[in-house]
Amino acid sequence: MKAYVKAFVSISDKEVKLNGDNLPIQVEEGKPWLTNIYYSLGFQYPKFFKMDNLCKAGFLGAELLMGKLGLTPEEPKRNWSVALMSRSGSLDDDQTYQQTIQSADNYFPSPAVFVYTLSNIVTGEIAIRHKIMGESTCYVTKSFEPKTAIALSECAFLPEKEVDHQIFGWCDYLDGQLSVKMFALSLDSEGALREWETSIFTI
Amino acid sequence: MNELISTLKEEIIEVLNLEGMTPDGIDDNAPLFNGGDPSVAGLGLDSIDALELIVLMERNYGIKLKNASEGKEIFKSVATMADYISKNRTK
Repeated sequence: MKAYVKAFVSISDKEVKLNGDNLPIQVEEGKPWLTNIYYSLGFQYPKFFKMDNLCKAGFLGAELLMGKLGLTPEEPKRNWSVALMSRSGSLDDDQTYQQTIQSADNYFPSPAVFVYTLSNIVTGEIAIRHKIMGESTCYVTKSFEPKTAIALSECAFLPEKEVDHQIFGWCDYLDGQLSVKMFALSLDSEGALREWETSIFTI
Repeated sequence: MNELISTLKEEIIEVLNLEGMTPDGIDDNAPLFNGGDPSVAGLGLDSIDALELIVLMERNYGIKLKNASEGKEIFKSVATMADYISKNRTK
């Protein structure tokens, strides 16, 4: 099964790239990097500020990909799926939640933090935002290993799943260390940047 | 009461991560929840926000809600919350 890359995004602690091009990010002192990206790119989704860092990272990646393809969030996407791989999963938020229950004298579990203590919330948030009706999955793996990634993305394209487009990639956030590599994949080659194969993992 | 309302607004903005909102931008009597209807004015909070407000009342004012059905009246607006807190606070 041959798939094609329609758009790709990478976000690190220092830069944001869309289809390989650096995007200018206005850094406002005192604001978190992910928030600076959100404002710099003009996104408008108040729920962003309630998300944990993993979801914020995934949200930003998905916004950039869908925007590049000219797809609006409001448009239902029945033949789309979203799957991400992550090393830390929800561990960053798990630690934050742990702080709210650490002390018996100050035991106030935060519901708003608790709801993000699952790794697959990141793909759920993306699916909700973009009305993606297909599979929504987060795989916790040691690394963004190309052969594994391609095999997992091919699973989402199995004919019985009736999916011909997907957001697929890597999204990881832990203790301020951020790593996002996300791709908009399609079975349709028209307008594609390149084939979806292992060499793309080096770009 | 005005001081409590003002403090409460600041606390709500902080715990609910209402980015870009200021205490002055919150009407004392505006509905906190709109039931998912964007045409209803107010803060448009959701069910998780409601749970977070319950935690806020316990942590900051020592109030533990015993009857969940009370919440509907208490959390109508910042003014109703402040009224309930002023009458029931233990700290």
